[in-house]
Order: sequence, then C-alpha cells, then structure tokens
Amino acid sequence: MTVNTEKKRRGGFLKREFGDPERRTAYYMVLPALVIILVVAFFPIAYATYLSFTSATVAAPGSFVGFQNYTEMFANEDFREGLVNTTLFTVISVTLEFLIGLGIALAINQAFKGRGLVRAAILVPWAFPTVISAVMWRLMFQDQVGIINYVVNALGIISQPILSDRTLLLIGSIGVDVWKTTPFMALLLLAGLQTISSDVYEAARVDGANVLQRFFRITLPLLKGTILVAVLFRTLDSYRIFDLFWALSNRELESLSTFVYKSVRVSQLLFAQGNAASVFIFVTSFLLALFFIYGLGMQTSTEE
Amino acid sequence: MTQEFYVKTTVPGERRFNRRDFLKMGGAGLAGAALLGAAGCGGGGSSFDGTLVFSNGRETSGALESLIKKFNQQNQDITVKWRQAPSQSEQYFDELRTQFQAQSGDIHVMAGDVIWPAQFAANGYILDLTDRFTDSMASKYLDGPVAANTYEGKRYGVPWYTDAGLLYYRKDLLEKAGFSEPPKTWTELQDMAQKIQQDEGVKYGFVFQGANYEGGVCNGLEYVNSHGGSVLDPNDASKVTIDSPETVAGLETYRSMVETGVAPQAVSTYDEPTTEAPFLQNGDAVFCRNWPYMYSLAGSEGFKVKPEQIDIAPLPAGEGGQSTATLGGWNFFINAFADQEAQDAAWEFVKFMVSEESQKEWATVGTYLPAFASLYDDPEVAEQVPTVRLAPTALEMTEPRPVSPVYSDMSLELGEQFNATLKGDVPPEEAASTLQKQLQGIADQAG
Repeated sequence: MTVNTEKKRRGGFLKREFGDPERRTAYYMVLPALVIILVVAFFPIAYATYLSFTSATVAAPGSFVGFQNYTEMFANEDFREGLVNTTLFTVISVTLEFLIGLGIALAINQAFKGRGLVRAAILVPWAFPTVISAVMWRLMFQDQVGIINYVVNALGIISQPILSDRTLLLIGSIGVDVWKTTPFMALLLLAGLQTISSDVYEAARVDGANVLQRFFRITLPLLKGTILVAVLFRTLDSYRIFDLFWALSNRELESLSTFVYKSVRVSQLLFAQGNAASVFIFVTSFLLALFFIYGLGMQTSTEE
Repeated sequence: MTQEFYVKTTVPGERRFNRRDFLKMGGAGLAGAALLGAAGCGGGGSSFDGTLVFSNGRETSGALESLIKKFNQQNQDITVKWRQAPSQSEQYFDELRTQFQAQSGDIHVMAGDVIWPAQFAANGYILDLTDRFTDSMASKYLDGPVAANTYEGKRYGVPWYTDAGLLYYRKDLLEKAGFSEPPKTWTELQDMAQKIQQDEGVKYGFVFQGANYEGGVCNGLEYVNSHGGSVLDPNDASKVTIDSPETVAGLETYRSMVETGVAPQAVSTYDEPTTEAPFLQNGDAVFCRNWPYMYSLAGSEGFKVKPEQIDIAPLPAGEGGQSTATLGGWNFFINAFADQEAQDAAWEFVKFMVSEESQKEWATVGTYLPAFASLYDDPEVAEQVPTVRLAPTALEMTEPRPVSPVYSDMSLELGEQFNATLKGDVPPEEAASTLQKQLQGIADQAG
C-alpha cells in the first residue's frame, strides 16, 4: 500500500483499520489478549525499569539515582561472571545443538526401516523436565556415586572432582543442554526439511548437481526460515538459563538469571542491582530477537 | 536448622504456557486479577476472631500436631490453625518477607530460623517481646538461642528447639586403632584420622559440609571461631573483625583437611545428605561433622553403619582456641502487623509451646533438641533422645552466626570465600582480607 492511495481514502488510518467490520472483529478478538499482556507483562517490566533507576530496597522505596545501579552492576564480579558464563553457554551450546540437530534431521529425513521409532526415541531427553535432568546429571557427576566422575578419573582425563570446578561445571552444563535440547532442534529442522518438495532435488539431480551442491544450493537456502526460527528459540532460551545451572551446580555456577534471583530474592542490599540486571536481560534478549528478525531477515508473518 | 537442608534445590520457573493456554486463561485471568486486587487491600485490617494462624514448615513426627491439639483443647477461645510453610528455609523466608512487605497480618505467629530475627526486627516486621519474654523466663532457656533472638538489646523471638554442629566418630575404628577418646583438637583429629586411614584402609578420615551454601558457612565459622576469630566485634556489631591472625589460622586448618588427604577433595561440594553417604551409608569415613538429626539415621535401611558403631563428641578445638559449634535452631516470632488481640493470643500459644511440659513432649516424640535448659538433666529425655545425652557439652560452646539485619548478604560472601579457601583457589590470608572489605561494606550499607 503506497502513501498516495492512503491519502486518498477518507478517514485515514482509523477508518481503514476499524471501518471494515471484519477487521473490527479481529481487533475485538485480540483486545483481551492485549490487555492481559499489558497487565501481566508490560507492567512488571515497566516497574522493574523504574526501580532500576532508583535506590529502592526490598523493604523501602528509594530516590532516583540515574544509571548508578547499572554501573555498579557492571562492576559487580558476580554479574560479570554471570554474563561471561551465559554468553559462552549460549554461543557454544546453540552452535553444537544446531550442527548436531541438523545432522540428525538430515539423517531421519531419509526413508529407512524403523524411522518412526528413531524419531520417537531421540525425543526422550527433551521430555525430561530440566530440573530432573539437571539433578540426574549432577548425580552422575558426583564423586561418591557418579559414573561419569568415575570413568573420567579412571581414564585419567580429569583428576579433580567435577562438581568442585566451575569450568568443568560449565562444560558439563553445555553437555547436558546439548543432550537435552538437540532433539527439539532436530525436530524443528526436520519439519522444515519435509516442506521442501522432492521435485526440486529431482531437477537438480538431472542437472548434475552433486550431494554437496544440492545441500548448499537447495537445502540450506530453502531451510533458512526454519533455521532462523529454531536458532532464535534456542538462543533466547539459553540466554535466560536458570534452572539447569541452579540445580546442576547446586547454585555454584552463576548465570545472568541466577544473579537476578540472588540479588532480588536472597540478598537484602542488591535489590536495585538485581532489577537493573533483569532489565538488562530483557533489553538484550529483545535486541537479539530484533537482530534475528531484521539483521538476518527472518520472516515473522505469512502476509505478503 | 535441619529443616533447611533436606530439600536442596529451589527451582522456580519452568512454567511454560503456549499461546492458546494463554488466551484461554485470558478471561479467567482478568477476573482473577480484579479479585486479587480487591483482596490484596484487605490485608492489614482483619479483626481477630479467635482463629490463630501459625506458620511452620513440614513436621513429620506428628509431635507438632498433637501439641496444637492439646493447646486447642485447653483454650476454649483460641483455635490454632497450622498453615504449612515451604520446608526449605530460604523459600520460607522469602514467603514471609513478601507477606511482611505487604504489611499483612494474616499469619499471627510463625516459627522460623535462628538467623532471621535481626533481619525481621530491623525492618519492624516482628514484635518486640522483651516485656513478655522477661529476663527470668529467658534464663530458663539455653543462652545461645536466647542471644540469637536478641537484636540491639531487645528480645524478638522465643527459642523453640536448637541445633548445633557435632563431631560424629566411628567408635569401633578408634578402639581398634587404640584410641580411647575422641580428638580434642583439629590437629589430633587429623593425626588420628591419618593413622586409621593407613592402618585400616579406610577411604576418608573426615567428611563435613564444605559446599558454597549456608551449611558451608556454618562449617567455616566453626574453624574461625574455634581458633579465637570472630566475624563481628562482639561489642559493636557494625565493626567487622574477620581479618585477624586467628581467622587465618582457622582457615589454614580448614584447608589442611583437604591438603593432608584427611578429607576428600570433593568435600568442597558436600552438603548434609552427601556427608551421610560416605560416613553412614558406606562406612568410608572415620569422622563426620553434622547436625544432631543424623544420629537417628544410623542403621536405617541401606546404611552399613550401625548406631553402636558410632558416637558423638563436641567439635575439636583449634590450637590456642576452644571447641565451638555453630548454632542452629527454630524459634517463635509474633507478627508486628497482627491485631493486638491476635498478638496476645499468639503469646499464649508461644508460652504453651515453650513450656517445660511441651518441650519435653517435643523432645521425646519429635527427637528435637529442646531449648529448655533443665531438660538436658532429665533422665527420661536422655534415655529416649541419645543426642540430648551427648549434646550438653557441645551446646555449651555454641556460637550464633553474625547477628545482623543484612545477614543474608554476609552469608553469600562468607560461603563464597570459605568454599574457595577449602578448594585451594584462594589463600587463607587473602580470603580473610577480602571478607573484611566485603563484609564491612555490607555492614556500612546496612547502618
């Protein structure tokens, strides 16, 4: 719709959007949802943003302090550790999940006997609640009864107890996350693969394209939309990591979200910094999503 | 105290709605929000109708229910209703704090951890009980728990039951090695443990709670205090005194448990259940530091070690110091936002619960360590609760954790530094000076 045609219409924007009864009904139908989003999502975010600029504590309201909470937050060692851990965790685990997930999706997209069974089986880790898998893996990492700890010690790969070392804990968490969410990634990618018509491949084969050419020239470009959706989902999910770190490391491993929890709920004094950190998480994940949508050209609707 | 250690992990979250659920909930949500809004305003003004709401965590022995029943029968005009709180103390604290922030008087009387009084009192959440819990009444209870309920010279809580770190040891192994007595100092403990480890092929000498959490703070403080160190100046709580040669000596001993091979390297990840495993379940350790609750677990199903193989002693002393155990325990508080009438009724209930008779029932049926001092000389109690028989010496030396309105912030720092020292990541001197700086910063902010 161009600017000219819009100007010609009488009543302008409002008339166009609400004049048509069908459109009006559509608006009525989304209105309750919008109101709820405003109440349950927008209000807390706005309030947290407001609090992050004041010196409020859990018990008392505070005065306006500008960006002081944010500068103090960045100076806080725990926050920086959380930021580094979260970034490393997100980048490494999402990359691994994408690569392995794509491999699995390509494999189970082929026709072979027992394909249904394999598809169901790979979903098992995904079916566990995160807390359960975190506690389960913690037991396996543990020094008294843990099988993994026993094996890596016996093979001489690692000499110290896994749970006492934060680097090992981070590596372990990445491993558990990859184990747990690769199936989700694979399933999303598989759905995307199945929308690609076999005629396209047929034609390419006739033209003499080899396996690699078919993969890079056909599969990847046609799968781009699905890939972006899947990677964005996983990125935002990993970026907000809380329960896996909390349960697997017994609160030892810091992430951005565990920092927020500790500051806002456990500490008496870091309340304002915790609010600043929660706003930071919100803004940065929003920016991440925008980057995926505009920077990488992700499709957000089926219109036009 | 023990309550907070059973359930380890709180995991809020993991609540995912899809869009359809969300929309379905839309109408209900709006109506609910309106109702909540209306109900939320009614908090403070409710008048007392004789039903006293008492909040406490899970209690499995049945002793609490029977005591409440007894009280209700004796008091026609007051009915106590027990509102169950989260059994994990951190979560319970959080819930109460939220209630208090809303200035709600819904819960009239609550039982809570020994580290809470200062925080609640400083914010005006709980009632000053100095006039009710008089000096003569307080003198009948153990000193440590009374002190822990005192903030700025006023008593805000009444001790219900108590808890202290104890040294558990394998009587059979010590006898076999020719030791007739448990160790008196940490060095003695190390020597004995090493000898038994070598001679008898026992895997570990000593296990304790070294992880980075509240229990680890309790353990670390025992080394600092038993070497003569202190976190805060006993005469001026706003002054941090942790950076001292005594603290450094204490932390050196703490670290040496791992260095000498007496404690396993993984002890820096242990909490209460993980120390039970090597000591009771597998019989892999000679000594174990734990709370009184562990005694009753000996010989239970799947546990190799039998009650007759173990005994309890006060924790060892540091060189040049004395034996110290960190104090734990549960106490009664009265809500400052409750009605006057409700507060009076609550006081009747508290008085009943901490009376000698109730305390005796509580100790014998529930096997808790009573706060009522003379019960430790009661032969009937001693017979039924073995820990009581051995506890007096240990309980005499209890030390409360720093009494501060911002204790939870201090605890986070203490846990972190103690754990890092135990792992060998931070040398004791550095841990002491870092803590001095951080804790003083926290204390100043609070002041």
